[in-house]
Amino acid sequence: MRRLPLPPMVPGLLAAVVALLGAGALARYELTQQRDAFETDARIVHRLLSQRVVQHDAVLATLALLQPTQNTDTDRPELRLPSVYPQILRAQRRAPHETWPRADWQMAEAEARRLRRATLAGQALTQGRYELITAAGDAAYALHIDLQQTVPWDEWPMHPANSPVRVVLEHAGQTYVVQRGAPPRNGWLFDFKKTLASPSQPFNVVAQRYVGWQELPWVAIGAWGLLVLATLQAWQAWQRQATERRRAEDLLRLGQVARLNTLGELAAGLAHELNQPLTAVLANTQAATRLLQEDDPAELPLARQAMDQAAQQARRAAEVVGRLRRVIEQPNTRGSAVTVGLEPSVRSALHLLEPEFARRHVTVSVQDGKSPQVLADPVALEQIIHNLLMNALHALEQTPESARHVTLQLGTHDNMGWLRVHDNGPGIAPDVLPRLFQPFFSTRAGGLGLGLSLCDTLANGMGGNISARNADTGGAEFTLLLPLAVP
Amino acid sequence: MNNTLSPLIHLIDDDEAVRNGLALLISTVGLRVQTWADPQHFIDRFDRQSIGAIVLDVRMPGISGLTLLETLMAQGVDQPVVMLTGHGTVDMCRRAFKAGAAEFLEKPVNDELLIETLQNAVRQHVKSRQRHQADRAARERYAQLSAREREVLGLIIAGLTNKEIGRALDLSPRTVETHRANLFAKLQAESLAQLIRLYAALVDGNAAG
Repeated sequence: MRRLPLPPMVPGLLAAVVALLGAGALARYELTQQRDAFETDARIVHRLLSQRVVQHDAVLATLALLQPTQNTDTDRPELRLPSVYPQILRAQRRAPHETWPRADWQMAEAEARRLRRATLAGQALTQGRYELITAAGDAAYALHIDLQQTVPWDEWPMHPANSPVRVVLEHAGQTYVVQRGAPPRNGWLFDFKKTLASPSQPFNVVAQRYVGWQELPWVAIGAWGLLVLATLQAWQAWQRQATERRRAEDLLRLGQVARLNTLGELAAGLAHELNQPLTAVLANTQAATRLLQEDDPAELPLARQAMDQAAQQARRAAEVVGRLRRVIEQPNTRGSAVTVGLEPSVRSALHLLEPEFARRHVTVSVQDGKSPQVLADPVALEQIIHNLLMNALHALEQTPESARHVTLQLGTHDNMGWLRVHDNGPGIAPDVLPRLFQPFFSTRAGGLGLGLSLCDTLANGMGGNISARNADTGGAEFTLLLPLAVP
Repeated sequence: MNNTLSPLIHLIDDDEAVRNGLALLISTVGLRVQTWADPQHFIDRFDRQSIGAIVLDVRMPGISGLTLLETLMAQGVDQPVVMLTGHGTVDMCRRAFKAGAAEFLEKPVNDELLIETLQNAVRQHVKSRQRHQADRAARERYAQLSAREREVLGLIIAGLTNKEIGRALDLSPRTVETHRANLFAKLQAESLAQLIRLYAALVDGNAAG
């Protein structure tokens, strides 16, 4: 089943879409990671700062509780506070008979009394300073707080100098920069805003983080793109190979079909060519038989005519067969015979088969008394020698490698030159010997059984012959006889 | 042997020796044979009215035997066609029978088989022509009936008695009897069985039409 090929654009477009979708997913994942990290950091910052400022409320409340019952200056715990809390620069107490040096402090104290909790006063948030005032009976306390010292840097979740996150505290239009962070840039902005969990110091914690285009995971995106491209190319290569393979298979099948068709055509043509005369022969002889059965002398000429027709058509059938044989028969090789040196032909065939001998570890020796000049077709002669040598090599397959040997001998006898090929293999089984030169006879699995048959046909065609026997010393011996050029 | 009423076999083969041999063989049993070398010539000239059969070689130059067979069938030629081939394949055989061949024989063909096949074919053709003629005669007689007689005939064939027919057509049984006698006479039917055998198909066909 063959699928329709996709239009050539489609795989490329599909790959581009997949690459873009993947890049988008990667960028989105990276941004989500960054946002989660940012929000976690911002929440930690909010919690740490909240804990610290709540401490101030607690310190003030403790002072109010511990204040001396008599207005004496003997016990002033607030004076020791800066040494315990570095962020408290100074702690002041207003005795009942005193007044605050500043009017806004007075107002803050009044506010504190009303709200029954500490209140902010005289802030200079931008400089990182503020005062926290609380009432304690008739008296009051004020804490001077340094924000820079308030930040718990040892627990800070980010690197204060290098982190890209900007953290500020805001209150009543004033801003204190806790961490500078990176300047704004094109891309995405994460932000976070939450008021500190202390009613007395309701500063807003504002955190911002700019993520620029350059911070996207370009390496991963690039790798993804390359992966998609590689997959696309691999797929296309596979497609091309599949097409090639299919084409090769088609060609093969076509070849087989063509061969079958040719054979079928040949058979049909042959059947028709032979069946026509055979039909006529049969019809005529049967008609003649019927006519003769009637014993009517008047029918005799017709019967005779039918028999003549039958004979004529039988000759026609014979001609068809003769024509067929002439077409199929091998051309006569005797016509192209020239004077050939038997030894050079042997050397040439050996040269061609040298790698094969080496691979099979077979040694070869040529014993030439004298090199006969024979009449032969050079190509046919080389084919015969080649086949005889291959036959010897196959015969040695079961022999131990160290013992494999082929011996070639040349000589003349009467009007013939001869070549003897001897191998020291197992020899030829007696039942095989008579059938050795028959076509399609082979002792080798997968052998066509045409090699020796062809040798025989070619040798006969050149006026020579070929014979086989088992040598007295063991092994098989093939002898090729060819007419000498000069008898 | 030259009796023009004896069946005529048309033999079409491009090979003269085959033609002559087969023609001689066929003629030994008293069948007349007309041989044709050229299929086209045969189509143009042969006597379509003659009783007999056609013997066709599958493999011929020009028009192939199978094509010729299909042409003959398309033209409504009713002579049975016997195909001859030297190299029959299942496929060819199937095509031939599908196209309407009466028989498919392989060359070289044995005399007994060929002659028996041809005699069967001729018998078959004669029978089909007779049936055809009987049908035509029946149709002609049926055409002579009046409308009322056809109605009565339909009801007779449906198995109704005179009384029932009279009730169905609102006629007196006596009138029905008259119609019945008339249509038996016109249709030359001697028994109810014969009437039904010859005319049931016509009545059904007309009713359906």
